[in-house]
Amino acid sequence: MKKYIFIFKSELMSNLQYTFNIFVGFIGYLIMLFILFNLYRYLYSDSSEIINGYTMNQMVWYVIFTEILWSVSGGRKFCSKISEDVRGGNIAYNINKPYSYIGYSLASHLGEMFIKAIVYTILAMIMGYLFLGMFPSLSILEILALILISFIAIVISSLLVICIGLLSFRIEDSSPIYWLYSKLILIFGTIFPIEYFPKAIQPILNYSPVYVTTYGPARLFVNFNLDTFLNILLFQLIYLILAYLLCALMYKKGVKNLNVNGG
Amino acid sequence: MLTAVKNQTRITALSIKYALMREMLNKATFTSNVVFMVLNNASFIIQWVVLFSIRDNIGGYTLKQVLLLWGLAAMTYGVSRFFFAKAFSLSNIINNGKLDSFLVQPKNVLISAITTDVSPSALGDILYGYIILFIYGFSFGTFFLYTLFGILGGLIVTAISVILNSLSFWFQKTDVIAETGNNLMTNFATYPDGIFKGAVKLLLYTLVPVGIATYLPIQVLTEFNLVKLLIVLGFTIIIVLLAFLVFYKGLKRYSSSNLMIARI
Repeated sequence: MKKYIFIFKSELMSNLQYTFNIFVGFIGYLIMLFILFNLYRYLYSDSSEIINGYTMNQMVWYVIFTEILWSVSGGRKFCSKISEDVRGGNIAYNINKPYSYIGYSLASHLGEMFIKAIVYTILAMIMGYLFLGMFPSLSILEILALILISFIAIVISSLLVICIGLLSFRIEDSSPIYWLYSKLILIFGTIFPIEYFPKAIQPILNYSPVYVTTYGPARLFVNFNLDTFLNILLFQLIYLILAYLLCALMYKKGVKNLNVNGG
Repeated sequence: MLTAVKNQTRITALSIKYALMREMLNKATFTSNVVFMVLNNASFIIQWVVLFSIRDNIGGYTLKQVLLLWGLAAMTYGVSRFFFAKAFSLSNIINNGKLDSFLVQPKNVLISAITTDVSPSALGDILYGYIILFIYGFSFGTFFLYTLFGILGGLIVTAISVILNSLSFWFQKTDVIAETGNNLMTNFATYPDGIFKGAVKLLLYTLVPVGIATYLPIQVLTEFNLVKLLIVLGFTIIIVLLAFLVFYKGLKRYSSSNLMIARI
């Protein structure tokens, strides 16, 4: 575990050099937030109206939270990196190293995203307050529980992205699979909560990655409930184990067939 | 003058053709890139179906009009990323001194530099644009206008990217600014302008010209208006000329890094 903490720390320190990029990148987040804020302000005739169980304020905070998780996951670049490691043969350098490639990629990605997570969360909370003039009411314990759930959500997202990136062992370019996966997460859990979809598909979404990576944590943020927290935590732990096992299996099978030319 | 334009067009077409042939070497990857991009774009239909189940009209648009907006935005994106893919990573070419190989060619440096690569997935965007047009309602007039607006929009988006990326001639780390500017154009283009009010709306027709690249064309496609068509055409000419001006002004500051690279 020590070596992964070291990888995490080195990546974090190296990314401290690029805080300017994080702040500029936040503009992109802010624009998306601004568009969605305008959209929901248009949809809700007044702030007390309830649509599918959510008031306008709850919807805006929901989107603020899911967009943080979405941006901090940084899936597109991460998937390309894993895919490029496989296609370019870089993965071969990791085979004889005293760490697991999955553990290394995960620790390095989390280290890269750590500063971004802090900056985005602080700025997004300020923006949310400026837009709405209120915060969701949460106790210190509830905030700590949310941090835990959000951290696990990002780890699961990262592991799922690693799985998609490792598909490059079979298909040359796994980016198209990532586009589709990311759009499904974006539409079914980031822009809207699950309650916005027909009742028939809600149970499916409740068992999908959407529940543990975006919807669950954001649902808790706008309306904290101990039972929901425990339920999400249980599902997250199951997903965490399954996603890791899937990654390990894909890596093991893929490396067996690896053929690197040159050096 | 005419011969020079003809030669440049021929060279550009050949450059795009060879870049496409290179991408098509692996047919499975090429096809999956195109098909998955169509599916990727189509997934957003779900978003709008959900929104229109709440309200019949969003920002003055019906579901069909929003789909057309999405289709045109995809066309615009596709045209710019397919024909001028390198315009979106121009700052990288400038910063790494990779312009040398284009400077020694007796052809337009900017056009040569931005047409050396194609993005196969952008073909999926163009294809998706036409699928949406067929869903909206096909007629030869609409098809012609839609294609014209797709090209004009693509040129506007490319020109803006060239201007933002050319800032690298003067400043450092402008790639993030260029990327943010490009995302700004894409994000606004996929939402109806009716949901924005006041200063933001003004911004969308000036500083972030999504209004001219996408919203005005949708208005013309819904109800033909020659003045609006000419505004889009005039704006495209101005912004493209401005992009050339900024790039060539910046090029005077360019210094080679003596980087040896092979262009394959």
